[in-house]
Amino acid sequence: MITVSEKCVGCTKCVSACPFGATEMRGKKAVITDKCTLCGACVEVCPVKAISIGRQELTGDISGYSGVWIFTELADSPDGGHSVRPVTFELLSAGRGLAEKLGEKLCAVVIGKNAAVHTAELAAYGAEKIYVCENENAEHYTTDLYANIMVSLIKKHKPAIVLYPSTYVGRDLAPRIASELYVGLTADCTGLSIKEGNLLQTRPAFGGNIMADILCPGARPQMATVRPNVMKKNEPQPGRTAEVVCENVAVDKDKLRVRIVERHLDHRHCGGKIEDSEVVISGGRGMKDDKGFKLLAGLAEQLGGCVGASRAAVDMGLHPKSHQVGQSGTTVSPKLYVACGISGAVQHVVGMSGAETIIAVNKDPNAPIFNVCKYGFVGDARQVVEKITESLKNGK
Amino acid sequence: MPIDTVSRNLMLDSLKKYAVRRLPYDTIRELDSANEFPADILKEMYNPDILGLHLLLIPREQGGLGGSTVDIYRVCEMLARIDLGVATSVFATFLGSDPLRVGGTPEQKEKWMRRIGEECLLVAYGATEADAGSDLINLRTRAERVEKDGKITGYKITGNKQWISNGGVADLYTVLAMAPGGPSWFLVERGTPGFEPNKHEDKHGIRLSNTAALSFDEAFVPAENLIGEKEGQGLMQAQAVFGYTRLMVAAFGLGAGEEAVETAIRYSQQRIQAGGPLSQKQGYTHKLIVPHEIKFEAARAYIDHVARRLDGDAHGLQTEGAIAKYYATEAGNKAAEDSIQALGGYGYTRDFPVEKIKRDVKITCIYEGTNEIMEMTIYRGRWQEHLKSRGQYYADLGRELEALHAQSADVGADSAALCLKALAVILEQCREQKLTRQQYTSFKLGELIAKAEVAMVFSRSAADKNYTEGVKVDRDTLKAMARVCARETALEVALEGVKLVLGGGTGSAAELTGATGLIAIEDKQRGVMNDKDFIAAKLNEVYRSK
Amino acid sequence: MRIAVCIKQVPDSTQVKVDPATGTLIRAGVPSILNPYDHYALECALKLKKETGAEVCVVSMGPPQAQEVVRLALALGADRGILLSDRAFAGSDTWATSYALSQALRHLGGVDLIMCGVMAIDGDTAQTGPGIACQLGIPQITFCDEISVAGTTVRAKRLIEGGHETVEAGFPALATMSLPHEYERAYPSFRQIAAAQEKPYEVWTVATIHADPKFLGLNGSPTRVDRVYAPSARERGTIFTGSPAEIVARFLEILKQENFVK
Repeated sequence: MITVSEKCVGCTKCVSACPFGATEMRGKKAVITDKCTLCGACVEVCPVKAISIGRQELTGDISGYSGVWIFTELADSPDGGHSVRPVTFELLSAGRGLAEKLGEKLCAVVIGKNAAVHTAELAAYGAEKIYVCENENAEHYTTDLYANIMVSLIKKHKPAIVLYPSTYVGRDLAPRIASELYVGLTADCTGLSIKEGNLLQTRPAFGGNIMADILCPGARPQMATVRPNVMKKNEPQPGRTAEVVCENVAVDKDKLRVRIVERHLDHRHCGGKIEDSEVVISGGRGMKDDKGFKLLAGLAEQLGGCVGASRAAVDMGLHPKSHQVGQSGTTVSPKLYVACGISGAVQHVVGMSGAETIIAVNKDPNAPIFNVCKYGFVGDARQVVEKITESLKNGK
Repeated sequence: MPIDTVSRNLMLDSLKKYAVRRLPYDTIRELDSANEFPADILKEMYNPDILGLHLLLIPREQGGLGGSTVDIYRVCEMLARIDLGVATSVFATFLGSDPLRVGGTPEQKEKWMRRIGEECLLVAYGATEADAGSDLINLRTRAERVEKDGKITGYKITGNKQWISNGGVADLYTVLAMAPGGPSWFLVERGTPGFEPNKHEDKHGIRLSNTAALSFDEAFVPAENLIGEKEGQGLMQAQAVFGYTRLMVAAFGLGAGEEAVETAIRYSQQRIQAGGPLSQKQGYTHKLIVPHEIKFEAARAYIDHVARRLDGDAHGLQTEGAIAKYYATEAGNKAAEDSIQALGGYGYTRDFPVEKIKRDVKITCIYEGTNEIMEMTIYRGRWQEHLKSRGQYYADLGRELEALHAQSADVGADSAALCLKALAVILEQCREQKLTRQQYTSFKLGELIAKAEVAMVFSRSAADKNYTEGVKVDRDTLKAMARVCARETALEVALEGVKLVLGGGTGSAAELTGATGLIAIEDKQRGVMNDKDFIAAKLNEVYRSK
Repeated sequence: MRIAVCIKQVPDSTQVKVDPATGTLIRAGVPSILNPYDHYALECALKLKKETGAEVCVVSMGPPQAQEVVRLALALGADRGILLSDRAFAGSDTWATSYALSQALRHLGGVDLIMCGVMAIDGDTAQTGPGIACQLGIPQITFCDEISVAGTTVRAKRLIEGGHETVEAGFPALATMSLPHEYERAYPSFRQIAAAQEKPYEVWTVATIHADPKFLGLNGSPTRVDRVYAPSARERGTIFTGSPAEIVARFLEILKQENFVK
């Protein structure tokens, strides 16, 4: 429960800090109302430490849990088979660091119809042990099958940490498992580290306006999802070996309650997925119309990149949602990100702040994008893009 | 069940979201330049499947929502924030149906109110004439009886009306005409032979509101279109709703003014001059922002108070309505003026909304009774109270405020008490010296009475544990505002009062200074600057620029 | 058929700002709204109601102020509104929230289809929907674009990486709705709002839904917030102003310098 002690000096800092308007001043003392969600923002900000939150730790039996597990997501290949989705390798890379810190094993779990073919690649990216689970119903992801298998495996092998990609699959699967096991799950972590033997999970909230550090000290395994392009991918070491464990979990067909009627994969625009592109030229409201976006395509072509868009531009119909960059779109971390006519609201920046070099062009010198770019130009984005493309075409 | 606060806020939200979608700023600008009435927008606003806001004025018995005074003033405030011209058009429909509501026979109400609700009719209120504005007694439009077999079958209306809102676009008109039995209201439908609206006026402001003169040349209306079916009730029927309609226009002054000042606050956070934003400069905030926001919260407290009395057991409250209208529209007008100043060069251009708001809000000091008429009405209403109570009316109120101060010492109730007591002294001086024979003095007293009463209500409201709807600042800020309002109003009332008495009459300045408690009032000014600093800082938090 | 829609009142995160000096959220003047994803889910449910005659109940877990979104939902066309409010819920993470909501849905009874938005714009976790489905032991269909019902089967078109898939499940089931990017939220008319006041609205507490307190609030939540802070400000880079020609020249220089062109 939350209490305000006698130490309160009435400075009102907690009132403005509260994201839920749950603190008010009565006379010279701060009072916390029903609206409080115990987020702790006021505790942080009180200069005299007058506010405290008391809690009983949820204590499950956390002994005997060891190992960092990475859930392997398989993607459809154009030839009809499957390949490991690259985000898995990013998670393996992040997991490596965690496993080393804990002195525990880094493992991968792969579920599929022909899952065993992927073990070499998983080993190359650092998995020391790979749980392979082949199931004839597992060709395409469905919740019940995958969740049943994972819960079985987790109960049997007791990993300390399980990481999932924050994709449509991961965000469907991980919460189901967490709920079943009554363990903690943190979504869209941008940072993972070990603090006192626990997994410290860092993530944005309130549309990216605030960062939160989360812990699950009393429950195992600790689970988290991570978006693609957030963690750095290590160089693979082909030929590396790993222990392969075949776990064939049987699941009753009548436990599989959702039937896939049909699947349809869209064709990609601008040749290639935006997440994989090393150069992203992105447009916002300032590009104004389709002509503006054609100019961006021209520049992208010159630089060997892909065209992205802010949410505003996508809402205006200027670019497909598949290439929307931001909190409610895709996260990208290219070598070069050029933001043209994008104001740089937090929701957008969250999706591209991992880029190595950011260049921004905007008419408004006060646009927040100028706070995150390496090089900023105050000018008309359309004009600038057009002229640069021309110069590059003419080999200048 | 009556509309509760949650429902009311949902309605305001739907209205606001509708305006964001259908009346963005650029659209309003274009219409203002073109002097165009947005007929389709009004239709949509009345469409019961989209907003249906006119249903608030139709009683539940006739298929409406039977909105309370509070519901209606809150909607008026929101409409004024969106566009005062659109607000005026909606208001005209409200006003136009008032004579029906208060004076119509049950059959007339059933027929016409239901039609207005179901057919989404635009209504116009046809009272004003070229020579009869403030002074309706000079009414020249006449209604001649048409008889057949000794029975009145109808009336022929001849005359001209001027400055009628919705004049060129209404479906139904309530027209005040002099019948043999006296001034009477008649229902005239659009297209009645002999009746013609004239062209849409080219106005300084509220250009989205259609304003036109009306010409009647023996326009015939059947006898059942005489409201109340009894001649001579017209002025009484008009008067009956003044408390109510004046509150609506008060809400207009408040809404338009707030919109202007909030624009200025946001602008001031972004405009950097001399090393920092204008929002941090006292010379700017304490002149152009803070005084207006204080007056708006005072106006809000007062409007809300009167509205709730009208929704309770009170009737009439014409004087209170006049105080609300006068105070809020004067405040809105000055605020809009200062908002142009606050935005400097930018404020002077059409790209920014404040110059339009300034042009629009001026009308609120003119229509629904000019503010000079309001001064006179306020004076007359309260003068009676002063006389009847043998000079105790304000002294008694002063004592109530002193008692309030004993319980809530931080809302300026002590200054409000001093203000009311000073007012009692001034009124008594004017009575003794017969100074109210000087028209200037009586009008000025109206102004001072209005200010004193609003300050009193504001202090009471700030001490009340219930928060007035629509207040966006926190309790401490509201109390600071009430304190500044009470202190400054007390000083103004006492000084202006002394000025009136000595200027128009005789007396000893020293005695008068003593009697009005001016020294004590001056003493209360301590701390006003700190309060204003506090208020300015809070306003910057609440109205943050994007 | 009975549809239950879980809705949440959230601060409008597009308007929330952080004080760079203290690193805390500035909430003054930020309005509370119905979570846009839930707003869409509700509209989808109301469309199903039109097509099938289903009854739509909304359930919202929140402080007393959350009454506003339940009343909004009733004004938009929901038949019954329930506010689940109790101090014991404060501090709940997604597990504890899912537990409370699933208990409430059990108490409501007879629910064929549960719908909610994919996520709330304040927490952004997208975990509560699947959590409810799991705790109720029913199938889940997440990230739905479209949804329809035929008899006792729900069919939905959902997002997958690189495309869509259409799936079916029998009642009872839970669906989470994704936000279409051209979505314009519907707002009720004045008449709908006034009529909604007459609709059944209840406030339920921990006792009403027979929830076990050990699974609620901070104490029932496996995750806990260690700390909350403002994202670190990046170092501001170099900003150029100049004529278009100057800008272009400098831009090209930088591209060469940073090896993006030869």
